[in-house]
Amino acid sequence: MIEAHELTKRFGDKTAVDGLTFTVPPGKVTGFLGPNGAGKSTTMRMIVGLDHPTGGTVIVNGKPYAGHRSPLHEVGALLEAKAVHPKRTAYNHLRALAATEGIPPARVNEVIELTGLGSAARKKVGGYSLGMGQRLGIAVALLGDPHTLILDEPVNGLDPEGVKWVRFLARGLAAEGRTVFISSHLMSEMAVTADHLIVIGRGRILADAPIGEVLAGSQQERVLVRTDDAGALAAALGSPGVEVRRQEADQLEILGLSTRSIAEAAFSRGLLITELTPQQVSLEDAYMELTGGEVEYRSQHMSAPAGSAPDEEGRQP
Amino acid sequence: MSTAAPAAQEPRSSGAGRVTFARVLRSEMIKTATVPSTVILLAVSFAVMVGLGALVAWGTVQLVNDPAAGPPGGLGASAQSLAYDIPASGLPFGQLLIAALAVVLIGSEYTTGMIRSTMVAVPTRTPALLAKTLVTAVISFILGVLAAFATYLAAQPILSGSDLDFGLDADGVLPSIINTGTVLALIAVMGVAIGALLRSTAGGVVTLVGALFVLPIITGLLSGLADWVVDAERFLPSSASAALVATRVQPEAFNQAEGGLILAGWAVVLLAAAVVVIKKRDV
Repeated sequence: MIEAHELTKRFGDKTAVDGLTFTVPPGKVTGFLGPNGAGKSTTMRMIVGLDHPTGGTVIVNGKPYAGHRSPLHEVGALLEAKAVHPKRTAYNHLRALAATEGIPPARVNEVIELTGLGSAARKKVGGYSLGMGQRLGIAVALLGDPHTLILDEPVNGLDPEGVKWVRFLARGLAAEGRTVFISSHLMSEMAVTADHLIVIGRGRILADAPIGEVLAGSQQERVLVRTDDAGALAAALGSPGVEVRRQEADQLEILGLSTRSIAEAAFSRGLLITELTPQQVSLEDAYMELTGGEVEYRSQHMSAPAGSAPDEEGRQP
Repeated sequence: MSTAAPAAQEPRSSGAGRVTFARVLRSEMIKTATVPSTVILLAVSFAVMVGLGALVAWGTVQLVNDPAAGPPGGLGASAQSLAYDIPASGLPFGQLLIAALAVVLIGSEYTTGMIRSTMVAVPTRTPALLAKTLVTAVISFILGVLAAFATYLAAQPILSGSDLDFGLDADGVLPSIINTGTVLALIAVMGVAIGALLRSTAGGVVTLVGALFVLPIITGLLSGLADWVVDAERFLPSSASAALVATRVQPEAFNQAEGGLILAGWAVVLLAAAVVVIKKRDV
């Protein structure tokens, strides 16, 4: 269980995390979603005490992280791949960290097998691929058999097989009653992994709800209509709470009305409709809608709002 | 939260224990032993210290055998006491290398990101810093004593030709050998502290080498300007370490115990600063 209350972090005059209040409960996978620079990593670093909050508090399993006597047993964290000396082997890295809590060597071998590091564990970490580095990071997170797992972008650099493995691992750990908190900037990945989503942008919470609700509630119903007299239909449908967008000469996109209401309106005015298609709200759409105004790094052609000079979040590597 | 969390039935497993200082110490020992740079720097330090000591022994013999080279009237009895300083004579370069080793051991944690793994495992932070300091200091102490003793052994055949060889029971020789280790241990503490304060390997090495080698040169150049420069010079780490390993107290210099206290003072102040800063800082 992770509980954050008004958690805030400022770096100079830049606010990376702005008053986050949320709870990550045990027994399910909670996705932490947001564009790059939204404050995900900073929030996770504050949970395990690497960054000190400017304001607010965060506790894990009832205590601030540093207050636990067996921290690795409480929280397993993958915060960035390769927080490892490159000249040291994965085995020795794990052994050194295990030693701090007297975790037996058998457990070191166990997590090496579990994460598929295998014989590579005896090689220096400096030669690892991004994917192998992630596997080592996950091995470190699992080392203490923790109640709570915090994984920052765990599928970064993994091959499809590895991505699937992380998904099953996260779901399995949650099914055992553990707290699993996974960050990602990929909605599609969260859609198949998480039960619950916390979406943030520019350090603020945009949504905190079960994944189904994020999908359903994030956007109004959207219907594509093709008609011979688009102007007349648009006029007929116009009312408060309804948005009509003219897409082509004979095509409208309507937000806020069901297909039936549109058909009824057209029928009553004798307008011919040649197409009436409810648009599937994809997770990506829902995500874009939520984070639309909160993206810090924008592609050039999307024209950034004036005055928001892109600068680094904290010290993202 | 819209839904009530299922009753937290969190698994408790056996095997994982509490973080204790002994365990953190063991972790730091594993970390120190499992990077090649440690072994390489220790081997180089040993070789350089013994080699330099043998060279000094040879130079001493040349001085004694060549009346023209020494002061008028020859070295006389002082040649023997000069020889007593030989076991610790590799120290200036030993200090340099151990300072580098100590800075590298902590500085590399910052440059590689390992420090974040360390501080997640030991979130109270202070034990991790103190354990690393202790491990580095003990290794440096052992290296210093072994190198000084090896220098002593290597010097005897060179000195015996001129009847300058001596036993371990000679005036101040055994303390000098042991204190070679003490100096390196305290330099190592300073190195770890400076590395932690600056979070950089290169910056830490430059700073410590500056303090050990460049400051004495500067005070040497300025010593003619004012008396206080001369007084201040005696409190430099380099002067204090020279006083600590001296087999006899030089005029105007501190004695061994005073030298040791001054050097320990430097180490303690820097380490205390590192403890305070490391606890407050984001990593």
